[in-house]
Amino acid sequence: MKEQPVPSATEVRLPDRQSGGVRTVAICGPPNVGKSTFFNRLTGLRQKVANYPGITVEKRIGTFELAGGETVDLIDLPGIVGLHPRSEDERICMDVLLGAREGIPRPSAVILLLDSTNLQGHLRLVPGILGFGIPTLVVLNMSDDLQARGGSVDADALATRIGVPVVAASARLGKGMERVVSFLEGTLAQPKRVELPVLNSIPAERQWASGAALHAGYHAPEPSLWGRRLDRVFLHPILGPLIFLAVVVAVFQCIFTLAVPLMDGVEAAVAVSGGWLGTLLPDSVLKGLLLEGVWGGVGAVVVFLPQILILFLFVGVLEDSGYLARAAVIADRSMRAVGLEGRSFIPLLSSYACAVPAVMAARTVENPRDRLATLFVAPLTTCSARLPVYALLIAAFIPERPVLGPLVGTRATVLLGLYAAGFAAACGTAWLLKSTILKSKPAPFMLQLPPYRWPTARSLSFRLLDRAKIFLRRAGTVILVTTIVLWVLASIPYQGGEPPAIGDSVAGSIGRFLEPAVEPLGLDWKVAIGLITSLAAREVIVGTLGTIYEMEADESSPELQAALQAELSFGAAIGLLMYFAFAMQCMSTVAIVRRETGGWQWPALQFAYMLALAYGSAFVAYRFLG
Amino acid sequence: MSEAGTLADLGLGRTAIVGDLAFGEADRVRVMEMGFIPGAPVSCQRVVPMGDLAVYQVDGALIAIRRETAEQIGILSSADERAASAKRD
Ligand SMILES: Nc1nc2c(ncn2[C@@H]2O[C@H](COP(=O)(O)OP(=O)(O)OP(=O)(O)O)[C@@H](O)[C@H]2O)c(=O)[nH]1
Repeated sequence: MKEQPVPSATEVRLPDRQSGGVRTVAICGPPNVGKSTFFNRLTGLRQKVANYPGITVEKRIGTFELAGGETVDLIDLPGIVGLHPRSEDERICMDVLLGAREGIPRPSAVILLLDSTNLQGHLRLVPGILGFGIPTLVVLNMSDDLQARGGSVDADALATRIGVPVVAASARLGKGMERVVSFLEGTLAQPKRVELPVLNSIPAERQWASGAALHAGYHAPEPSLWGRRLDRVFLHPILGPLIFLAVVVAVFQCIFTLAVPLMDGVEAAVAVSGGWLGTLLPDSVLKGLLLEGVWGGVGAVVVFLPQILILFLFVGVLEDSGYLARAAVIADRSMRAVGLEGRSFIPLLSSYACAVPAVMAARTVENPRDRLATLFVAPLTTCSARLPVYALLIAAFIPERPVLGPLVGTRATVLLGLYAAGFAAACGTAWLLKSTILKSKPAPFMLQLPPYRWPTARSLSFRLLDRAKIFLRRAGTVILVTTIVLWVLASIPYQGGEPPAIGDSVAGSIGRFLEPAVEPLGLDWKVAIGLITSLAAREVIVGTLGTIYEMEADESSPELQAALQAELSFGAAIGLLMYFAFAMQCMSTVAIVRRETGGWQWPALQFAYMLALAYGSAFVAYRFLG
Repeated sequence: MSEAGTLADLGLGRTAIVGDLAFGEADRVRVMEMGFIPGAPVSCQRVVPMGDLAVYQVDGALIAIRRETAEQIGILSSADERAASAKRD
């Protein structure tokens, strides 16, 4: 070991990037060690999430203000299990540490976060990370848990052994954070530098780690008794699947019942504020655009926010508590039947609320091909934007008769049938993809089961805020643009200073132009316009048809139902239902798939496939039912 | 230590030592990164019969793996186990 002079505490400042330049500190470590919790502790709300250009890994950057008013940029790097980059996550971590990632300066310091309850396994990463030659702080997180379970570690002894400062901390309770802050301020005492060996195999790394842990007097904690008891229940051959089903049903129930009053509230708020805005604005063309286009269009999206937040609240609780990994174990069997794996069930469940968060949730699926298959089929399951369309058409065309006793009537049966059709299409498509273009060699399936923990309100609210921001930004921009364009197309050309009747507008001409394409489905140009406008979001067709028939647009409006009955045959209506069940009538989903796959090929293929499926089934329905 | 088949044969509650890993290089690294390093003690914590999966405790972590993957991980019977079976005899 080479010995070097000990720098005094005041000498050890983080190297400033240029005078006055921002300093960048990277936070890295294995998955699930509490990196997000730690990051949120330091940055609070001063953080933003973006994607690394061209790929799907999230880039999370926040700022931390030092005592003197200077700021430090903190980057939360994706979790790594080793220094042999194979996954995209690991490659990014390595690239950033090498300073090879475009747009991110090479960090001037690294905080390596390790789980002190599994120190031997995690210390393995130390020599490799220190090998990057960047000033490093090692944080032994979860020290509260370590203590509670009777373990212990001497952080100072470890620091002497590895030659960089080591701090025992609890990101959850905020303990030890003041020493992390001293590190950022450059005032934390540094131990004598130590030359660590270069290790190039995992067994060698692991052996070194055992030695280091021994040197640090590490006592591993007792395995948690509660964890074992809970696993005995949650992974029980009979109870396990029953609990899993109960959880899924409960999530559903809440998405659809708890969310309804909130969604109604948002809807009312949008309507009231729109009306209020209407009285404020002078009458002009712009007023129509602002009220109907912008306010109405954005309102149509914001309505789904409560539902999405409730969904993510559930997913957050399940994930933070540790149950989600157990649920993935239970779901693995059924998912495997269609060629996917246990983790795919989370996105598929989410997509019953909305495909946008579902596509984002597909990130939890590790194998890239399985991930693609998952996000490809997610939009086939029945999202809640289909419900207003289903409600309108079912009410207009399906007479209510009892089927199974007085409670289950024909209408409920048709609705259930549509859910089943979506589910079957998703399963069939997954199977098809996994046996053709997304076929993959069987890779070892391994899933780490994290310890059970109480979810904290703090971590849940950070998650919700994050998801809300992403949803509003992504979905909002697409919908906004589409609604404005459609509104303009429906309002030009002006005739004698007045907006045209819909049939004479540019939108009307487009509808007529498309009429031959929808004629085989028994539909006319009016519905064709609706099919186009509802590309923005499915439920938009209800409003469009209302405008076209000049009726009050509401899915329970009897006038609109009567108008539809007069225009469409029974077979065409069933066909239209099938069309909405299968078509990718949602630009937000297209946009999110593009973002998540980093290109247009997948969303284009998905759109074409779903359109073909939708058109084909609508055609068959119209042919057979007339 | 003696050869004792693969991880898939390890009974519930039993402990063994990780032996040969019958994977290609990339998968081998992945499996080792999850803690299945030759020489590490591993114990079978739960069997999920419906799912064809089992949960193992290895290197301080709980890992669920599919049976077909477990079949590719060789095990050696551990010293404790041998001592325990010697006592039983
Ligand atoms: N007891 C205890 N729990 C903690 C501590 N820090 C984080 N946790 C919990 O550990 C779990 C994982 O924390 P996250 O912050 O999501 O971990 P992460 O490293 O960001 O995980 P990934 O994003 O999956 O890589 C959460 O349930 C946290 O509440 C801690 O210091 N003590």
